[in-house]
Amino acid sequence: MGRIKKKGEAGNAKNYITRTQAVKKLQISLPDFRKLCIWKGIFPREPRSRKKASKSSTASTTFYYAKDIQFLLHEPLLQKFREQKTLEKKIAKALGRGDLSDASRLERNATRPEKTGKPRYTLDTVIRDRYPTFVDALRDLDDCLSMLFLFANLPSTSTVPAKMIARCERLCLEFQHYLIASQSLRKSFLSIKGIYYQANIQGEDILWLVPYKFNQRVVGDVDFRIMGTFVEFYMTLLGFVNFRLYTSVGLKYPPKFDENKDNEAAELGAFKLEGNHAATTSSEPAQVTASDSAAQPDPETQAEVNKLIRQMKDAAVEGDRTEPTVDTDEPTDAIDKFEPAAPGGDVLPQPTYSSGEPGSLFANCTFYLSRETPRQSLEFIIRAFGCKRIGWDSVLGEGAYTTNEQDPSITHQIVDRPIIQAATEEDGDGEDNQTSQKLSPNQRIPGRIYIQPQWVWDSVNDEELKRPDEYAPGAQLPPHLSPFVQNTQGAYDPTLPLKDQEPEGEALEDSDDEEVDGDEEEDSFAVKKPKAAADGMDVDISDDEEDEADDTFGGFSEGEKSAEGEEDDDEEDDELRNQQELQAELSGKPVKQAKAGARSQKLEAKKKLVLKAKEEAEEIERAKGMLSKKKRKLFEQMQYTNNKKSAEDQKLREKRRKLEKQKARAKA
Amino acid sequence: MGSAKANLKRKASNIEANDPATTVKIAQDSDSEDFGDFGDGILNAVLDDEDSEDDSYSFDGEGGDSDDGEETGSEYDIASEDIPTDDEGGENKLALTNGTTDLDKGEGEGEDEDEDEDEDDQSNYRIEKDANGGIRYVYDEIDPVYDSDDSDAQDPTNTIGDIPLSFYDSYPHIGYDINGKKILRPATGDALDSLLDSIELPEGWTGLTDPETGKPLNLSRDELELLRRVQMKEVPQEGYDMYPDTVEWYTSHVEQFPLSAAPEPKRRFVPSKHEAKRVMKLVKAIREGRILPYKPPEEREKEEEQEDEVHYDLWADETPRPPNVMHIPAPKTAPPGYDLSYNPPAEYLPTNSERKAWEGTDPEEREKTYLPQKYDSLRRTPAYDGFVKERFERCLDLYLAPRVRKTRLNIDPTSLLPKLPRPEELRPFPTVASIEFTGHDGRVRSVSIDSSGQWLASGGDDGTVRVWGLSDGKQQWQVKLSSEDPVDVVRWRPGQDGLILSAAVGEDIYLMIPSTMNPELEQASRAILDAGFGYASNAKQQTTATGARKDPPAKWARPGARLENEGVLLKATVRSPIKTIDWHRRGDFFCTVSPTGQRSAVAIHTLSKHLTQIPFRKLPGGAPQTASFHPSRSLFFVATQRTIRCYDLQRQELVKTIQPGCRWISSLDIHPGGDHLIAGSYDRRLLWHDLEMSARPYKTLRFHEQAIRSVKFHPGSYPLFADCSDDGTLQIFHSKVVNDLMEGPTITPVKMLSGHRVVNRIGVTDVTWHPHHPWIVSGGADGTCRLWT
Repeated sequence: MGRIKKKGEAGNAKNYITRTQAVKKLQISLPDFRKLCIWKGIFPREPRSRKKASKSSTASTTFYYAKDIQFLLHEPLLQKFREQKTLEKKIAKALGRGDLSDASRLERNATRPEKTGKPRYTLDTVIRDRYPTFVDALRDLDDCLSMLFLFANLPSTSTVPAKMIARCERLCLEFQHYLIASQSLRKSFLSIKGIYYQANIQGEDILWLVPYKFNQRVVGDVDFRIMGTFVEFYMTLLGFVNFRLYTSVGLKYPPKFDENKDNEAAELGAFKLEGNHAATTSSEPAQVTASDSAAQPDPETQAEVNKLIRQMKDAAVEGDRTEPTVDTDEPTDAIDKFEPAAPGGDVLPQPTYSSGEPGSLFANCTFYLSRETPRQSLEFIIRAFGCKRIGWDSVLGEGAYTTNEQDPSITHQIVDRPIIQAATEEDGDGEDNQTSQKLSPNQRIPGRIYIQPQWVWDSVNDEELKRPDEYAPGAQLPPHLSPFVQNTQGAYDPTLPLKDQEPEGEALEDSDDEEVDGDEEEDSFAVKKPKAAADGMDVDISDDEEDEADDTFGGFSEGEKSAEGEEDDDEEDDELRNQQELQAELSGKPVKQAKAGARSQKLEAKKKLVLKAKEEAEEIERAKGMLSKKKRKLFEQMQYTNNKKSAEDQKLREKRRKLEKQKARAKA
Repeated sequence: MGSAKANLKRKASNIEANDPATTVKIAQDSDSEDFGDFGDGILNAVLDDEDSEDDSYSFDGEGGDSDDGEETGSEYDIASEDIPTDDEGGENKLALTNGTTDLDKGEGEGEDEDEDEDEDDQSNYRIEKDANGGIRYVYDEIDPVYDSDDSDAQDPTNTIGDIPLSFYDSYPHIGYDINGKKILRPATGDALDSLLDSIELPEGWTGLTDPETGKPLNLSRDELELLRRVQMKEVPQEGYDMYPDTVEWYTSHVEQFPLSAAPEPKRRFVPSKHEAKRVMKLVKAIREGRILPYKPPEEREKEEEQEDEVHYDLWADETPRPPNVMHIPAPKTAPPGYDLSYNPPAEYLPTNSERKAWEGTDPEEREKTYLPQKYDSLRRTPAYDGFVKERFERCLDLYLAPRVRKTRLNIDPTSLLPKLPRPEELRPFPTVASIEFTGHDGRVRSVSIDSSGQWLASGGDDGTVRVWGLSDGKQQWQVKLSSEDPVDVVRWRPGQDGLILSAAVGEDIYLMIPSTMNPELEQASRAILDAGFGYASNAKQQTTATGARKDPPAKWARPGARLENEGVLLKATVRSPIKTIDWHRRGDFFCTVSPTGQRSAVAIHTLSKHLTQIPFRKLPGGAPQTASFHPSRSLFFVATQRTIRCYDLQRQELVKTIQPGCRWISSLDIHPGGDHLIAGSYDRRLLWHDLEMSARPYKTLRFHEQAIRSVKFHPGSYPLFADCSDDGTLQIFHSKVVNDLMEGPTITPVKMLSGHRVVNRIGVTDVTWHPHHPWIVSGGADGTCRLWT
């Protein structure tokens, strides 16, 4: 007999610790504990047996892994927290004594990150600890970026100091600059929540969400202290990540920041990237200008000068300008192509860089943003895909390549306003009360492509310049599809035509539907609807047979059911035929015999299908009989979820079918 | 001062002494004197105290008695000292009067002379004029002369009675004594105070006596001055300067001569190493920026705000760390789908009913937090309401949500299903009843196909054994073995060298050679059967322990002429009814099982020697049900009701006990490969055992609704097995047995054959496979046998 095991000395009872216990052990306050957990990435656990883990009679809600707390015990930040606490106590004491000078002296030592946006401690060790390698940090950058981009767009309040917002904004812009310089932005998506971006940095896909540039509404109870703690950490993280990223492409970090320009809303243009002299060995001074107008004192005049110059030698300048300045850093992380030197060797697969080079999609374009377009996102995304010359209306802020709408070098103009019909007749002279160089709303400059903003996103996602006519101002835009969806076999894909993806049964039902619809079009709409509903039911049943045959054991009865269904269908068809004949007689048209023949064929096909489904169901049934009870349950669960998914897909298909029919009808 | 006080006291006592004296004088000399200015009188007396000091005593001292008078004066003095209170003042008065009387008596002679003179005039009264001018006789006071020295003489009590003293406020007296004399008001404090005030105290008077000298202790002027200073909180010492000017002992004046004559030490001229060290420390600190020049706080704050964070390559020396098992990274948020687009395909937009349903549900119960929405241009797209909230919730999730690793089964559910061979691969297997063999009266109990596959033998309740041509379904041969007992089992002897059929009826085993139009084969078979007769006679008779003749386990004999003519050539009789027969693959041995036979239940018979052996003296686990030889090895399986025991015949030991877990085993069969075993049970189970693996079944198949009667593997090359049941059906299974140890056999149910009628709740009693074809023959309770092909 082994040693008697005592209760509560091993296993769940030892491994888990409640939050109260943890706080007591660390001797800090709960908010400090929260901070520490957020920064160190400690999260509660779900013990395998809650009852064994909790020692008290009352149910504890949060358990931590005991070793995590042990780990926190050695945290140098703990000491900082305690120091801060004692300092606060001293201040309170001094105030209590009425010793104001003493209190103010102590107060000077206290850190007030909520005021200054800067704590006394640094979190770099914590970051190093949490992310032992750079790739680890990149992997966790999703939330960081989403959060910082949100805070960059928040209004400053008492809980969110302006300094913090400014820093967030700077960090975000710096990160965007890196993406532009390294051309690592891959995809972007305009959603109802905001704009999703996906970048690929060192093989890691990073996806983040940027809100639209509006004042954010704070709904419900949102604790900004918690978010502030996260942001504090994320700011430090992104700072170091930026540093590493900048140095990896041979840029100096932090980039030069022009405050004046920033005040004039230059955003990305307020930064001036500089080559890292230590890193680049090229003789050419790697001065990478973030914006072409970075060195210009007055953008207006410079724009004029530029224009003049361009008019003199337009093509040549363009050629010069399109040369990407960052490509001196490019060859470092590209993969060389290994061609087999002699036949007979094995072929090793290599990741291929697409020949199109997504980073230079817009390299040959010059964009002009109308004043109603969202400049920040457009500027970033267009820049990230290789465009160097983006002009915009001066209303949109500083840093434009040109503010003159009539600049002849502009190849694409992004417009997001409706066409005003009345204005077409009028001359483009007066009504617009903006500056004189503005055009009238509908005036077009020849030799330029006018497109809506979605064109940019769709082009980027498809890695090709889309046809501009679909995106012309005022045109009905094609649907904007998420580039992040990976189509699985059998799931609904809106890009494919309906016929390619619907299962046979549905297709048959559909064609049946069509005919019926076609026949009954002349009739009242009311007749059609219940029929359609009935069809829908039938579809459901057959689908059930296909997928959910596992629910009941007896396959035969179901087969019978489906057979009945068939019979019903037959009867219905007969009735229909009769009706048609009657109608034909009434209207004096010949009966559509050919159609009837086709229908019988279809019926055959349908029957075959039903039979096949039945067989399949039987097959599954048979196989399932051989499974153990546990496995069978699992199987059934999986089938349940699959059916749910397929039901959703089916719903979508149905809707689409309906819409297509409506469209067809509208055309006819 | 003390002496001054003493004087004062004495004076006071003088006054007291004088006071009664005066009263006495008044009383004796001039009663007529007005009492109104009595106070004045006292004061006067006091005031001219010094000059009339002697007079007061000498007013009736007369002559040479002055000494006495002085003596009495001192006497009074003492008395007054002793009795200071007012009441006793009255006593003093009495004493005084007594004194005077004593005095009078003491000097009796002189007075006598006076009295004599008075007595000469009038005897004991005096005539005085009263207030009205009339004559008033004043009698002398009668002296009662109480002859007693009563010390506690009565106080002169005030006789005014119970009236307030305030009535006398305006009088100098406060009442009357027992003698009717006025009791004078004693001197009050006011009077004393005013007296004391009027007395000037000498300087330095303390009222104390110096115990050493006995003189009054007076303070000197200096001492008084000291006291005053102390009182005034001044420094007691006169002329002390609390804040004197500093005396500069060490001044900048260079003295002419050194204090010490020692020469100047070297260190005065050499720069200090210690200092240099300290300076260097400071220099270093300044260089490193640890010591900064002073700046006013405002400036410093501003600078601090402006200073940027220090950035460096945090991952300069990164070393990948193996992931901690307990660390669960936060799950990433799902990427947006099509329906999140600002301009989604139209089919993603919710219909009205969907929208209503979404709005109707509680926000926490919604599957999605948003409704797909379409905006026809980017310009129209508004800010998303719940953005901050969603990010906040994500934050909460990151630090507050317990993380649990969940394996998401993202696999195709069909991959869970066993890889079943397709029905085409499973073929051939029997599907239809092609031939029905009818002829038996009552149930068919057993069927068997010979190893050539030509003949089917069957035995039934009618006591007959019939042989049918399997291909044509015609009865070829028949013999009636018994009229009362049914034929329980028929089995062909395996092997192509002879055609011998064995059948069991009750306790008897019959071995017969059906006539098959093949004389050579018949001849060979006969030879096989007859070979044993020689041995039988030589067989040693066994004896029991007591020496009595023991019954042999079986009697081998010829069955009798009638049967011999029919082709039944041999009969072996055992002790109890036999239920099963199983032949060894070589055709020399067969075993029989008679479940009721106690010890001799299982018997192994040797055909070539006509010998019967009882291998088990004792069989644990209840009555044996069936037994079987292993198809390739020298193993022997015996099934009792619940267990199957496997014995090694050569080593004669138990190899394994198999526990199928059923209640009552009906039959068993061994896979021709030899590693698997199936058993059927009356409680509707079919159990597949892997002999290499556990004692428990590998698979339990429960597809029958009634008891399973018989199970059989296909003996040939087809991977099939079948069972038959009382529900009237046969079930055919496909079993793929691979040699791979890692992979278990795949059992696939393929067919359910029904056709036999159920009679008296008994359906199909026995099945047997064709040795070369995927055909199966079943015998049923309805009296038929069927060939299924």
